[in-house]
This record gives sequence, C-alpha cells and structure tokens, in this order.
Amino acid sequence: MPVFTDRNVAIELFGDLWSKMVDETEFGKKVREENLSVQFICSDPDVTMYVDGDGPLFDDETQGKNPTVVMKMSSDTAHLYWLKKLNVPKALALRQIKAKGPVGKILQLMPLLRPGQALYPEYCRKYGIPTE
Amino acid sequence: MDYFDLNTNLTDEDIALRDAARQFAEKEMRPVARQLDLLSADAAVAEDSPLWPFLKKAYSLGYHKILLPEYYGGLGSSALQTSLIFEELAWGSFGLALLTTVVCFPFYLICITNEEHLIEQFVVPFCECTDGSIRGCWGITEPGHGSDHVNMGEAFFSSPKLKGDVRAKLDGDEYVINGQKSAWVSGGTIATHTMLHVQLDPSKGFAGNGICILPLDLPGVSRGKPLEKIGQRDLNQGEIFFDDVRIPKEWMFVDPDFYVPMIDMILNAANLSMANWSVGLSRAAFDEAFTYAQERIQGLSPIIDHFTTKQRLFTMFTRVEAARAYVRAAMELNLNISPPHVEYSIAAKTLGTDWAFENANEAIQLLGGNGLTREYLPEKLFRDARAAMIEDGNNEMLRQHGGHVLKENYPRGPLDF
Repeated sequence: MPVFTDRNVAIELFGDLWSKMVDETEFGKKVREENLSVQFICSDPDVTMYVDGDGPLFDDETQGKNPTVVMKMSSDTAHLYWLKKLNVPKALALRQIKAKGPVGKILQLMPLLRPGQALYPEYCRKYGIPTE
Repeated sequence: MDYFDLNTNLTDEDIALRDAARQFAEKEMRPVARQLDLLSADAAVAEDSPLWPFLKKAYSLGYHKILLPEYYGGLGSSALQTSLIFEELAWGSFGLALLTTVVCFPFYLICITNEEHLIEQFVVPFCECTDGSIRGCWGITEPGHGSDHVNMGEAFFSSPKLKGDVRAKLDGDEYVINGQKSAWVSGGTIATHTMLHVQLDPSKGFAGNGICILPLDLPGVSRGKPLEKIGQRDLNQGEIFFDDVRIPKEWMFVDPDFYVPMIDMILNAANLSMANWSVGLSRAAFDEAFTYAQERIQGLSPIIDHFTTKQRLFTMFTRVEAARAYVRAAMELNLNISPPHVEYSIAAKTLGTDWAFENANEAIQLLGGNGLTREYLPEKLFRDARAAMIEDGNNEMLRQHGGHVLKENYPRGPLDF
C-alpha cells in the first residue's frame, strides 16, 4: 500500500513543506536568485507539484509552467527521498527517478533541497504519515 | 580560423565563452602541445615541462571545472556552452583538452552521488584549486581488461570467471585495495586522485564492481612510467599500482547494486566529451588543409582551384558540420535527461572519432609530402585522431554495446514528461 493513501494529504503536506522552504530556508533565496524552478510529477497517488521562488503550485495550477528541472517518480520514492533514505544517483540509474533538465541544474538543486529533508519528518508526524 | 555557426541563436555569453576558449586554444594549447609532442613521455611530465605552467593557466581560467555545478564552485556551463568550449580546446590539442577535463572526473561523479561529506572533502577544494595541484583521473582500464569494462550488456560481464585486476575487500570500516590499473589511465602518473573501479564481489564478475575516490598519496600506491605512444603524446598516461591501500568505506560511493547503470551514465559523459573533442580535431584538420590549398601552387595555380581539391575540401567541411550538428544534438539530449539514452552518445563518439581520423588523413594527403613532416600540423592530428578511435572504449566495442542498447530499447518512445 502506498505511503500516501489520500492525495489531498500529500498536497497539504507538501504545500506546507514547500512554503516553509521557500519562505524560511536558503532554498527560497537561491531559487529566486538563480530563477530556478522544479516540478515533481508523482504517481500513486498522482500529484504534480511545481515550485519556484513564489512558492508551490499543484496539479492544474502547474499548467503552462516551464520548470528548469522535472523529476518523475512514485510518491513512495519521493517519500523515501525526503526522508533521506533514497540514494538519488542509484534511483536515477535504476530509473526509479527520471529527470529532465540540465544536469548541471539538477546537481545544483540537490543541496538546495536538503533543508526540506531536515524538516520532512516533522511534517510527516503532523500529517500522520509513517516515517519508518 | 573562425567558422559560421549553424546555430544562429548563440547568446552573447555563448559567443564570449567560445571566443575565450578559442584564444586559449590558439595562444596557449597549440604551442605547448607541439612542444610536448616532441618530448619523451618522461620529459613531458618532468619538473621543467611546459605542461605545468599550461595546467596552471588552464585551472586559473576554470577549464578544469567546466562540468561541475556552480553551487560547488564549478562553471555550470550549459550543454551547448560545454560543446562550444570543448570543440575549441580540442582544436588546440585533443590530448590537452582531454587532460584538462579528465582531471575533474572523480569530482564530477561525487557531485552526481550528492554525498555531502565527499563534496566538502574533495569537490570544493578541487573547484577552488587555481594552480593545477589537484588532478583527478579515471582509473578504469586494466591490463587484462580494456573493452571488457564497456560491454555491460554481454553475458560475460557478470560471469564469476571475469576476474578484475583491482579488487577491494572490506576490513572493518575500511576497504583494502590491491591490484593494478593499466598504462592507459589518462593522467595516471601525475594525478593526485583517482575515480577507481574495483571488483568488490567477484562472484558477479564486473557486475560486482564498485567505484571509490582514492587520493593517490596514500601508502601502498605507486605509479608506472609515463607511456610512450603514437598519438596524443601531450596527454600523460600510465599505470597505477595498489598494494594493500586502505580507504574509509564511505569513500566507496558506487556499489554493485547500481554499478552497471552507473557505468552507462559515466560512459555517456565520457563519450560526449570525446565526440566534441573530435569535432575540434576534425575542424583543425580542415583548417590546415584549406589554408594550405589556398597557398600551394601546382600546375601554375593554387591547388584549391583544382577540381579534386574542391571536392576533397568540401567532403572535409561536410564531416565537420555534420559531426558538430549531431554531437551537439546528442549532447543537448543526454545532458538534459537522466538516465541518458546512451546509444546517442556512443553514436556521437564513434562517428566523431572516425570522421576526425578521416579528416586528418585527408589533410595529410592534401598536403602531400609536407603532410608527412613534423613542420606541419596534420601529422600530429593524424596520430592524435588514431588514438581517439581506441580510447574511452574502442569504437568496435562501443558499437557492440550500442547495438545491445538498441536491441533492448529501440524504438524509444517520446520523453514522457
């Protein structure tokens, strides 16, 4: 069974997380400075998230956006990523994650997402998502 | 010589980067490469070699970190910019272009793994280095295994009969490494760090391999003599030996679980680099032939007015243009998706190096007797191009692997993003 059984919980959790990252961590500052944007296309449940310096957008709100980097993966894989339990290059190599966008930008984005990984377990607890 | 770029949408920044690389290639690389080419392999890396001031200059301009992300201090160039720069550098010298890039390979792969402690320990100092004192190399090729390493699709690759020449065993919190890499390791006798391929689980053949970062000043590391060879004599190559070398287990950052797909990703970057450098060499050969044909008088007229010379020059021009267009397209695709469609990178490398060789060969033929002498560049280009058809996977073995990838994936569907 997928970790997120209710896609609305995923949207709420990630909405909170991205907003915090954009407003209160280095992530927001950097994506604004460098005009970066990232889109996560998650499956099972299907949730599309787009984030830039203005904050997160979901599903239909992401239409027409042209993200710098697109990452496609299952919601479970995304969950493991945010818990720092996923080896990203391994997941890319094994096609558990597919990425589109300049490799240099993807490499640049990785360290910027780390503050979100530090915050994620707290948000999981808040929304009742298992972390083990 | 300048050329008209089929891409008429280059930005001011693209053009500035290309022009700076061109100037560096012409003023710095060409003269140093010619000097190094005439030296013995030992003298080419001796203390008083022109290699060292060259490397210092290249590092001070940041050419050693073209592939690395800006966040860690790299140049963060786009795929197109990397193509533009690589072509210019290889126009100056294929061997030196390769050397200034391979020095980043261990650090590039660490960036891909996103291991924070390794990035701080190894990548950041490399990016900050401006004097050429931190130099990586790619320790993959072995005395008993050259092309074996790039034939991941064949059954033998995972056979327990395939014994690696370098093996690592876990001993507590450390790996103990023993064995030898072959004389074809680029920068092998002068590197300070290697991205080392080792056999971890012999029961899986090379599918049981891993990759580690290994500083080459550790106890138990020794080097062979710099290799004497036909071409790319400006590129140092040589053996590295490992005798009970110990590293922390955290430095083994690719394990057998994803070694095979990771090799495809590494091969992708290496083949695209080779392909771009081949375009530079191809263009250098064309430039030499074109200039000579305008000046050389035979039959009372410049040979460029001769019927067959026009045909031959046009064929050379076509190879440069077609290779550049294809190589850039493959680069644009495979530096923008992950995992890459590696068959396009293999096609770029094999086609690019074959055509570079044909152009260098034609340049010699067009220069006649002069083409055979060291006074003119084409004989060096010819020797350099010959080596490129073998290094980073010889072209036949790469085609074999490319054919395997086609068998598994052709026709690929559209990118599903």
